[in-house]
Amino acid sequence: MAITRTDAYVIPFGPAHPGSGNFRIWLTVDGERVIKARAEPGFLHRGFEKLMEYRTLLQNAVLADRICILEPLSWDLVFAMAAERLQGIEVPERAKYIRVLLAELTRIQSHLIWFGVAGIAMGFDTVFKVALTWREEILRLFEEVTGARVYPTGYIRPGGVRWDLPEGFLERAEEVLLHMEHYIFELNDLFFENPSFVSRTKGLAVLPPEKGIELGASGPALRASGIPYDVRRDDPYLVYDRLEFRLVSREEGDALSRFLVGRDEVLESVRIGLQVIRDMPAGEYQVKVGPFVKVKEGEAYAHIEAARGDAGCYMVGTGGRTPYRVKLRGPSFTLLIPVLEYLLRGVEIADVPVVFWSLNHCPADMDR
Amino acid sequence: MGTTTEEQQAHKAARRLIKALWVFNWFNSCGFTELLPVVASRFDMERFGMIAVGSPKQADALFVAGYQTFKSLKYLRRIYEQMPDPKFVVALGSCPFSGGMYWDSYNTVKHLDEYIPVDLYIPGCPPRPEAIFHAVGLVMEMIEGKRKGDRSGD
Amino acid sequence: MATEISKLLEPFAPREEGNAVWVRVPLEEIPRIWQELREQGYDYLAAISGVDWPDRGVIELVYHVWSLQEKSFVHLKVEVPRDQPRLPSACHIWGGSAAVNEREVHEMFGVEFQGNPDLSPLFLDDWDGPPPFRKDFDWRAYVREKYYREDREEDRGYYKD
Repeated sequence: MAITRTDAYVIPFGPAHPGSGNFRIWLTVDGERVIKARAEPGFLHRGFEKLMEYRTLLQNAVLADRICILEPLSWDLVFAMAAERLQGIEVPERAKYIRVLLAELTRIQSHLIWFGVAGIAMGFDTVFKVALTWREEILRLFEEVTGARVYPTGYIRPGGVRWDLPEGFLERAEEVLLHMEHYIFELNDLFFENPSFVSRTKGLAVLPPEKGIELGASGPALRASGIPYDVRRDDPYLVYDRLEFRLVSREEGDALSRFLVGRDEVLESVRIGLQVIRDMPAGEYQVKVGPFVKVKEGEAYAHIEAARGDAGCYMVGTGGRTPYRVKLRGPSFTLLIPVLEYLLRGVEIADVPVVFWSLNHCPADMDR
Repeated sequence: MGTTTEEQQAHKAARRLIKALWVFNWFNSCGFTELLPVVASRFDMERFGMIAVGSPKQADALFVAGYQTFKSLKYLRRIYEQMPDPKFVVALGSCPFSGGMYWDSYNTVKHLDEYIPVDLYIPGCPPRPEAIFHAVGLVMEMIEGKRKGDRSGD
Repeated sequence: MATEISKLLEPFAPREEGNAVWVRVPLEEIPRIWQELREQGYDYLAAISGVDWPDRGVIELVYHVWSLQEKSFVHLKVEVPRDQPRLPSACHIWGGSAAVNEREVHEMFGVEFQGNPDLSPLFLDDWDGPPPFRKDFDWRAYVREKYYREDREEDRGYYKD
């Protein structure tokens, strides 16, 4: 049956919509189909990079938690690595292993939030409730080590970590990691192999590999399109070159494969975590870095595989107490602006939240 | 408020009918991270009758989570104006109170009560879920008239 | 560093550090160097950073380019004069990621990228002040004047530096 002629009009898919984050997209639609999408960022812009120019290195370690709320320890780590590369500090072995353990726990809890919020945007309320409840176990671990559930008060700071792990922590962490493995299998039955989920995401919003590289995608979104780019494997940092883990990637590039890459990555993170617990060496946990240490002259760039993709930090020093310039490369910057605008063309309005949440992103590290 | 005394008295009486708070979460910034566990099962807020609603017209309370930038402030004002009386505004975190962690940022709002009237501030960075429940308890006391809010002239 | 890249960058005295190469290239050579880098497989533009050096009178732009094959970075630096910050756009080389990064540098530093079709503001709405990340815009002085009052009890702490 032919539909009568429709005109194109513009809808704001705005910041107060439950299917979007703190981010607005202007959709030009013709009937039910999106013709063009335009991203409007800036709802969370604080100007982190210049705020860091007013604070010393250790003060910045506390500020670095808040770049992306959903994975604070990853950003602590990127900042600390760039500062150490600039200052020429070598971190002790035990600190490296502790950092890897916390980074992988952060990745797992960030993916749980991703699945939970994606579930609620698609109408699977149960997934939200259970995923966030499971995440509480990891937050309890963080509270034990760093003192706070969400913001770890700059626990990973230039020079190492702030203090040593408490007694018995490794046993508790091992138990939590084994629980996570079990939970992902439960989530698989509930969510990933649920026929309504699969039918909604299969074949939707395919990202071709060359387009992914050209538009700057990284993380699960790029690995689901067949490009096996993972900083832990391609540019190993900390102790990842000694750990055994599989690089998860898929070929199809649609929304379903992005979620499945995320699911399999949690299992690999559990594996890495268990190896770290088994191999954790004794020793020093930090190299002393004074609170008013002068930032050396020079520049350094460090990048890691955060939960969302390739996160980088470029730091320039000129011998003062504060860095001269800090540039933060957030993985969501390219995921939310060029990649999303590309993927939303030709999609129906009802599928827009699904496409949006299939890219693991965080508007906070886009706006910084 | 610009209404007659009869209307004000009717509002005060209507407030006592609020037994369960329906909340509109304005998830703008980092302070909201602890609102997600409040909605989820461990710190379940539905056992207190609180529901997160999708439209400001159905809400009793507005939870402003964390710092606001000037861009998001415009939408916040519009949402506040759309909420019907009686309504409560609860600001989470140290950022709306004093600028917080981003006190020297050129783009964030430093004192939220210069833009919308705030009834209660919850300190913390971010405030723990237990603190949010404590705050809801205080809002209930304010409804019953046992406590004065931070909003002047009420 | 692979031999083709070392031949390409040798005249500019590159600095090698681990698997990254830092090199400063003069403005006239930039389009040619970009083209060659892209052809050698440096196809992933991670970020474009702007650094403001007011005492030297330049704004330095650093292009952080990663090669997925070689698994190494080339950090390409170019300087533009501060009072006339203008250079060609890299959109035809690195596509969408260059376009959005240039938009950010344009908004924050005021650098003009010729050939970029869309340099509209990204983060700020109705901003009529100077480009925010330049060194001559002091944030602390700005917020103290605009938002805080020294006579207000809770703001007094922000006036001690």
